[in-house]
Amino acid sequence: MTTAAISRSDFWLRFSHSKNAVIGAIIVTIVTLAAIFAPVLAPQDPGKVSILFTWEPPGDRYTLGADALGRDVLSRLVWGARVSLLVAFSVLSITLVIGVTLGMIAAWSRGWPDSLIMRTVDVVFAFPEVIIALLIAAVLGPGTLTVIVALSMVWWPGIARMTRSLVLSLREELFVEAAVACGTPPWKIMWKHFLPNIISPLIVRASIGVGFIIMAEATLSFLGIGVQEPMPTWGGMIRDGLPELRSDPHLALAASASLGITMIGFNLLGDGLRDVLDPKGAR
Amino acid sequence: MHIRRLTGTAALATLLASSAAFSADLRTTIPADPAMVDPITYSELVAGDVMGNIYESLTGLDAEGNVVPMLAESWEPLEGNLGFRFNLRQGVKFHSGREFGAKDVKYTFEQLLTPGMKGGLGARYLDVIVGAEAVKDGSAAELEGITIVDDHTIEIAFTKPDVLFPVYPIYIMDAGIVDEHGPDWASKVSAGTGPFTFASWNLGQSVELDAFADYWGGAPAIDGVDFLVVPDANTAMSMYEAGEIDLLYAPPTLNRRILTDEALADETLRVPAAQIRYLGMNENVYEPFKDINVRMAVCMSIDKEAMIEGLFSGAALPLNGQVTEGVAGYNPVLEPIPYDPEAAKALLAEAGYPDGEGLPPVKLSTTEPNKNEHIYYASQFQEVLNMPVEVEIVERATHIKAMNGGEVPFFAWGWSAGYPDALYFLSQVWYGPSPYNRSRWQDDEFDALIEQAFETVDNAERYKLYNAAEKILIDDYGTCPLTVRMQVALVKPGVEGVSLSPFRFLPFGDVTIQ
Amino acid sequence: MPGYIARRIGGLLFIWFVAVLISFAALQFVPGDPILVLLSDQSGDAALEARLRADYGLDRSLPLQFIDYIGSIADGSFGLSYRFAGREVIEIIEGGMWITPLLAITALVIAVPLGVFLGIAAATRAGQLADTAIILLLVCGISIPNFALATTLVWLLSIKAGLLPVAGWGSFSQMILPVVVLTVPPVAYIARLTRSYMLEVFEKDYIRTARAKGVRDRLVVWRHALRNTLVPLLTSIGIIFGGLLSGSFVVETIFNIPGLGRIAIESIFARDYPVTMSVVLLFTVFYSLINLAVDLSYALIDPRIRLQGQSA
Repeated sequence: MTTAAISRSDFWLRFSHSKNAVIGAIIVTIVTLAAIFAPVLAPQDPGKVSILFTWEPPGDRYTLGADALGRDVLSRLVWGARVSLLVAFSVLSITLVIGVTLGMIAAWSRGWPDSLIMRTVDVVFAFPEVIIALLIAAVLGPGTLTVIVALSMVWWPGIARMTRSLVLSLREELFVEAAVACGTPPWKIMWKHFLPNIISPLIVRASIGVGFIIMAEATLSFLGIGVQEPMPTWGGMIRDGLPELRSDPHLALAASASLGITMIGFNLLGDGLRDVLDPKGAR
Repeated sequence: MHIRRLTGTAALATLLASSAAFSADLRTTIPADPAMVDPITYSELVAGDVMGNIYESLTGLDAEGNVVPMLAESWEPLEGNLGFRFNLRQGVKFHSGREFGAKDVKYTFEQLLTPGMKGGLGARYLDVIVGAEAVKDGSAAELEGITIVDDHTIEIAFTKPDVLFPVYPIYIMDAGIVDEHGPDWASKVSAGTGPFTFASWNLGQSVELDAFADYWGGAPAIDGVDFLVVPDANTAMSMYEAGEIDLLYAPPTLNRRILTDEALADETLRVPAAQIRYLGMNENVYEPFKDINVRMAVCMSIDKEAMIEGLFSGAALPLNGQVTEGVAGYNPVLEPIPYDPEAAKALLAEAGYPDGEGLPPVKLSTTEPNKNEHIYYASQFQEVLNMPVEVEIVERATHIKAMNGGEVPFFAWGWSAGYPDALYFLSQVWYGPSPYNRSRWQDDEFDALIEQAFETVDNAERYKLYNAAEKILIDDYGTCPLTVRMQVALVKPGVEGVSLSPFRFLPFGDVTIQ
Repeated sequence: MPGYIARRIGGLLFIWFVAVLISFAALQFVPGDPILVLLSDQSGDAALEARLRADYGLDRSLPLQFIDYIGSIADGSFGLSYRFAGREVIEIIEGGMWITPLLAITALVIAVPLGVFLGIAAATRAGQLADTAIILLLVCGISIPNFALATTLVWLLSIKAGLLPVAGWGSFSQMILPVVVLTVPPVAYIARLTRSYMLEVFEKDYIRTARAKGVRDRLVVWRHALRNTLVPLLTSIGIIFGGLLSGSFVVETIFNIPGLGRIAIESIFARDYPVTMSVVLLFTVFYSLINLAVDLSYALIDPRIRLQGQSA
């Protein structure tokens, strides 16, 4: 019942037929390109202060208006995408590698490594995520690296626990027992048999994860302990914009919309990928 | 509300009339729980907002910020300005019903100095009293320098002249309170003479005060004051808009929202704060500040007018000196430092840094709430002077300690007056030996003028000394005076008698609610 | 089973101890000295600083301070607050202690059935319009930042319509908006997970067999699929509860609820270490208790896992 093999052409055929996946992919591509080419795309220097044009509404001078210091909102959004994605991808890569590896080891070994890993997970889990992030941010001082470290600390145990529970149910499956009986080495079983079978829930989880991480970064910036000036961040922009929602809604709206649309993009892509990658084609 | 059983049409009419002037509690917000409601340990702003309604000092303020007699009706200096004789007000009752008198003043001062009391803000004003040291180090229980002449006359002797002593805000408390309620009395009752008494404190939710019917200035028209604890400014604003509070002292983050809303115009109070703002340039830490031309260049690169409009939404005034308008000793004829980028560039070149060349990098430090203001300054210094400036955000307590230690090269900071006299600003922020001289600017002549002022009783004479000292500071570009914050408050229609002074709200004793 | 529970409780105590240790250690590195905060503008007065430091026991060695703290937990006072001179920490947190878990559990109780229902509704109509519509709704639910949602709801329902109070705590009507804001993300999260697991379970052989045998669809869904979906879903309850506790920080701030989240933020900014540590500890306790409950019910639902738990 091992199901890793979906041919490449098969994948793209299914992918192009999934509306969710395509829409999600388009949004994610646009955001990613914006982030990569921010220096070229941003019409102005995102840090340029123009005290005479504070809270300038959207118009010719500023496509999406200006903020409390007369800085171009569009340029800051584009640069903000960079920060959000940098944080999200860093955290995701770190937590997936650590979480999946440790989760598999725990599930496979069942002995003291399982206890050790799961107790560590419990301890980390025992702290609400904002508390962890707050403590780390407070200790390391606010900044990009802090956010990445803090969110990675928060996220890997979830992945580990999920991997472990998925692998645990798989272990009972016949094909695994067969593989063990054939003398296949554990790492090979994990790589060849477990990984392909847990990839689909992991992708759903990761797609939700990207969204949550971007949101968590925004929340930390919103609380004032995230990525710092002069780096523009969406969360920081929302925080600055919310009090002026009535008189000058452009800042809060533009930043919230960027955050929301990006999250929708990643979520749709994740859903779509799940449908596509699901070996049985759940559609 | 007292409900009485009334008979007859006349009485009914009275009842109707009084219900038209229906009184209730005044509801407002505070941004945090007060740290205490005890006049001895009192040491912070929120506690001051609450306790100002419960406790009174020898003198008080009117709406313009002028000193007026309060618990002391009059006072005269002792010989050689080494102390004061106070004639205390008669017929003043404490919340306990006891009569206020000289013994209470003496008791309060001794309590403030007693070790182990963690004496708050009041204690620092008392160092000048004869015998204060002995009480502080525990070798005496009574203040040697205080003489109770009779029940309502007290003489206080000093070790050196301090002509402003009557102005110092020191809350006077009931000497009998501890005997009656024990050492933890402050959590149960209040021991003041003010228009309101302490009713309850529900941590994290509210502090509630009741009207004091026997208040010497006349019983308040309202039943009490509810201070709701609301840390988030936007939430407080929403509560005001929804009518859940009657009064809001708006933090600066709400200024734009309030001042751009036409509908709120009639409900808005705007009064400049008695708070200076200045740019600290510490030459001990950043070499180039030793050159007056560099300091001038820095000052001339700031466009205060543009900043007031763009950054503060108009809720600020330019400051030309280091005393705010409305504080005694203010000099109205000081010339502003002009915004002149060309002249600034030329001055910098003259100092040996053409186009900023050769200037070492420097950090402009501040705390989170002042971030935007500092980003503006930094962008001006970069653009006009090509100065390598970077904004650094620091945790508040750490920043204050570093500034007090003279370790911060470049910062903008404020100082709020504790009493309405220019000496507060000049002697605390710019006097050489002051622990709060944070940028370490120092001038012997300035210091001599300040020392002379402490001994000059005549107001006009003293103000001349202030003006002369202030001019020395400004002419030396020891600082760039920045702006004066405009306090913004919202009052619901129908609420009358709220006074916003340069020192925040006056007590709510005269407030009425329709 | 009793042995398993005993072991878990031992584990809990260990976790709580580690939590105290970690938060104590972390707070030592936090920039900003509480005594400096107390001194505020007066900092620089070395004598006063030394006296306050001695009064608060901060001049003692760290291990002694830690032992002091453990002792104060044992006697239930949780130490003395730095900000509120002379008050025990328990006085400050006891008012808010039950508010945060009450909010979180209320939100959880609403979110689980609603989320599962929406997830099943979507899964049984996979690929149809209803599925797409539900997914879109859920994606929006996850995508809207809670601070933006809260601000918008307050503006619409409280200020414009005047239906609900803006903020505060004490009445039922004051609870509605915070609970709604707290509930939206977990509903979306649970529904997505449910949909995903349901679709997976549908593909299992036994369900296909059941379907092929002509067992009526609804019965298949409820009896087999749901049971097999609940297990992985249960694992997520802990995460969701944690998310709710975290969400309480923003929600309690915006709706001015005097719960642990707001107390935590205020105490961190005021450098009131003993209060912060106590809040961290309480969050840890609530959280680990929920996780224990989850694991126990987990073991009840899936006997295979129970066996494992016992052999571990």
